[in-house]
Amino acid sequence: MKWIKRWAGLLLLVVLVTGCGRDRQTLYIYNWADYIKPGLIREFEREFDCRVVLDTFDSNESMFARLRAGARGYDVIFPSSYMVQIMQQHNMLLPLDLSLIPNIDYLDPDYIGLSADPTLAYSIPYMLSNAGLAYRADLVTDVVPSWSMLSRSDLRGRMTMLDDMRETIGAALKYLGYSLNTRNEQELEAARDQVIEWKRNLAKFENEQYKNGIASGEFLLVHGYNGDIMQVMEENDQVVYLIPEEGVSIALDEMVIPQGARQVELAHHFINFLHRPEVAAANTEYVYFLAPNVGAYELIDEEILNDPAINLAPEIRARSEVIEDLGEHNALYIRIWDQIKAAN
Amino acid sequence: MSSHDHPGARRQTVAEWLLTAAPFTWLFILFVIPTALVFAIAFKPSDPWGGVGAGWTLETVRSLRNPNYPAIIWRTLWISAVTTVSCIALALPCGYYIARAPYRWRRLLVLLTVIPFWTSFLIRIFAWKVLLHPDGYVKRALVFLRLADADAILLYHAGTVLLVMIYTLLPFAILPIYAAAERFDFRLVEAARDLGASRWRAFRQIFLPGIRRGLLTAVLMVLIPSLGMYIIPDIVGGTRSEMIGNKIAQRTFVDRNLPHASALSASLTLAVMAPMLWVLYMQGRRRGETRP
Repeated sequence: MKWIKRWAGLLLLVVLVTGCGRDRQTLYIYNWADYIKPGLIREFEREFDCRVVLDTFDSNESMFARLRAGARGYDVIFPSSYMVQIMQQHNMLLPLDLSLIPNIDYLDPDYIGLSADPTLAYSIPYMLSNAGLAYRADLVTDVVPSWSMLSRSDLRGRMTMLDDMRETIGAALKYLGYSLNTRNEQELEAARDQVIEWKRNLAKFENEQYKNGIASGEFLLVHGYNGDIMQVMEENDQVVYLIPEEGVSIALDEMVIPQGARQVELAHHFINFLHRPEVAAANTEYVYFLAPNVGAYELIDEEILNDPAINLAPEIRARSEVIEDLGEHNALYIRIWDQIKAAN
Repeated sequence: MSSHDHPGARRQTVAEWLLTAAPFTWLFILFVIPTALVFAIAFKPSDPWGGVGAGWTLETVRSLRNPNYPAIIWRTLWISAVTTVSCIALALPCGYYIARAPYRWRRLLVLLTVIPFWTSFLIRIFAWKVLLHPDGYVKRALVFLRLADADAILLYHAGTVLLVMIYTLLPFAILPIYAAAERFDFRLVEAARDLGASRWRAFRQIFLPGIRRGLLTAVLMVLIPSLGMYIIPDIVGGTRSEMIGNKIAQRTFVDRNLPHASALSASLTLAVMAPMLWVLYMQGRRRGETRP
């Protein structure tokens, strides 16, 4: 696997490097799929007279593995906050020159606080997502905005939670009033017992099929990501996204410049460009995730900006957290998750 | 090669060697090397970022004594055993009747057995999700016949996993049993009946031993994929139908602990080899017995 990835990565870079134009500068971006409005890239190319080459990844871990295996030449990468921490620990990031990114003045201070790097030394927040609940308005009554919905025995066998230890243990931790990044064993054991209680009502732990399931009415209540649920809502207007009031997990994706970047200055311009209020607004309206940019809030379509699924209410945001990397404490979560999976 | 070899014999040996070289190279590159790597990585330490550490350790193998594993191993074993027994029980009459059917019918029946393979395995599993959906046809029919409650849930049980596994693996049991039954001399059954054996006794004491090789092949063809099954419990299984295959997937993709995943896979490989070695031993012993 690793060998294949390593060679595929190198081959791709060779193609990228040799295939670019001669005189114009070329900026290499490594981002999640469908996570930037294509028109904005063309706008940047025109304005800065350069070429932008976009390459995509599907998980932080695969991106990280590829860089560790020696892939070089990217100028801007979009890892999640916890991965920024890991990359920084491995000395893989360049310190940012904030004088080249004046638009950081527009960053929403509430969200900068959520970043693992609140001083913006290595990373600038890009967009936010969260994991909450979704239900079928036509089939579920007496809905309360709480994780306690998962205890409802009348929905037994028609609910799912994510097959993701951090998200699902995290939901229980939030429900019990603890931090979803806790390293405290008693708190984790309490969360384990809570998930085991919910598990008796669950059809399954599921990361993909919950979207079809809630659309077709097979599942009545699911735990999932807001972006995914928004897509289902476009198909079926009976699906409603619900933010539990105990707080949710927030994923914050950031922009970093890796060691070995060739166009360091242009990379700064690109990061700055994406935080121009009109650019950030257009981007949010296209990808349905929130760019934490105060200037953009005034320009974004009201309906999108006020959608609690996209923009959390301040009191809920205060109770929500970003999932952090736990390093060696991951083993504790793996053990708790194993016990949950094995429990009857 | 020594100099006193006959030139003709030598040419033949070279030709044989060249002929076997291609499949042997194929097997070596795509089976022996990867399997050896899996066994080797099982003795490597893991690092918390998903890599494989340097040096060698027995820690990973020791960590297989995870107190949560016996339940999963037991589930994998019983689901595989029940799947195998059910598939054989269903495949025996099928194979028997196909082999006894008139020639024209026989071809059609074999074709019908193989037809499911024309559709992707994955699509057929998803089709079961549609059939067993809370508003699906099967559910509605069962409710109409008063065989199920209106709020009964057909999906996401160990029973669902079993049903879909039997459905998926049944052709692999029918085909070898049919192939053996087709070569079986049914006059032996007639002779047994003439000598006063009941139908059941003739079936049990004459037919079954007569197709023993096909039967053993069928058992292996069902048991081995069952033990390593991952996708069926993943798609139609619930919160309590996790099998060893799912655990290996979790260790690889979620926990990113490749050494641990390798140790689990290596154990599974050894567990799968055990029944195969048993069959080889049985066949070898049987051959020894029949020799005067």
